[in-house]
Amino acid sequence: MSTTQMMKGILDGCILAIIKNKEVYGYELAEKLEGYGFSNFSEGTIYPLLLRMQKEKLVTSTLKKSTAGPKRKYYRLTENGEQELQDFIERWENLQTNVNHVLKHETKKEKEIKHDA
Amino acid sequence: MMPKNVPLSKKSKQFLENLRVYLFSTGKKEKEIDEIVEELENHLMQAEKDGKSIEHIIGQSPRAYMEQLASEMPIDLKAWMKYIPMILFGAFSFTVVRDLFEGTLAYSLLEIIGFLIIAILFLTSISLTFRYVAGKNLSTGKQFAILYPVALLPMALFIGLIFLNQHVTTPVISFGMIGTIIIAIVTLIFIIGISIWSKTWVLPIVLTFVSLPDYLLGFTSLTESARLITGTCITFGGIFIYLWISSKLAKA
Repeated sequence: MSTTQMMKGILDGCILAIIKNKEVYGYELAEKLEGYGFSNFSEGTIYPLLLRMQKEKLVTSTLKKSTAGPKRKYYRLTENGEQELQDFIERWENLQTNVNHVLKHETKKEKEIKHDA
Repeated sequence: MMPKNVPLSKKSKQFLENLRVYLFSTGKKEKEIDEIVEELENHLMQAEKDGKSIEHIIGQSPRAYMEQLASEMPIDLKAWMKYIPMILFGAFSFTVVRDLFEGTLAYSLLEIIGFLIIAILFLTSISLTFRYVAGKNLSTGKQFAILYPVALLPMALFIGLIFLNQHVTTPVISFGMIGTIIIAIVTLIFIIGISIWSKTWVLPIVLTFVSLPDYLLGFTSLTESARLITGTCITFGGIFIYLWISSKLAKA
């Protein structure tokens, strides 16, 4: 898996989490992601992801009038989306634990070996 | 469709216009195209207000970004369906109209049965293919890779039929004067009907440019080869001018 592919899966999960918390429109979503530190991706990346999530019925969208003038598309999680988010959280926690384990033990060993030498 | 008073940079406007054309040319649903273009337009407007560059939104390659969007949008199968009867009766009307200029109609049994078989084969294969494509989550490229050969199938079969008809002799059925007139009227109604239904006059216009020059040039004193060259020039020139004008009109 390339880093971009791995990144996409993670972005998917983060987008679902943000949308679950509050209905958002595209620009708002991009701003939030950037606010959380995802700064090295192009903002437009979220739209193909949102299109796919809509196709997979994880999110739905509604057009609402904004105070500024143009109609905005707001995204909301579906039941499937909530389930997918739960699954993502489980997968992520599992992955995080495993990676942490690996890094903790293996890098410690490495240090010991260096120490012995 | 895009409001002209949008305070968008030229670069962004250009990108949105290119995106619309790209998605349209890859056969996406018009409604979905409008939606995604409008959404990106809003995004770009706000981003520009916040002083972000277009590269920050769509990345380094606009083309790659357009492809990403396109791959997540389904092909508009209904719009494709529109072209199927047009291709079928179009192919049929080309033969009929050409032959009408030569006098009363007469076809061999092989031609008539062959055409019916091709029509049935084509309709079955295309509807099966559509069902298959619609049910799968395929990329745009793969969808076209499957649809194109199926759409080209009748063309290949027609050419095969023409060759076969030259080598195999079957009873010829002559339609006589009244039969010919009836077929001519039915064909004309089909051509007009299809044009109104599909909202494009491309079929009768191409038909006219293909059939009429040859017929009219037959009255001139030009030699056969001169007639052939002039006819071909008028045919392709006329079709080219028509396509050019209609693309200009579509842009305006």
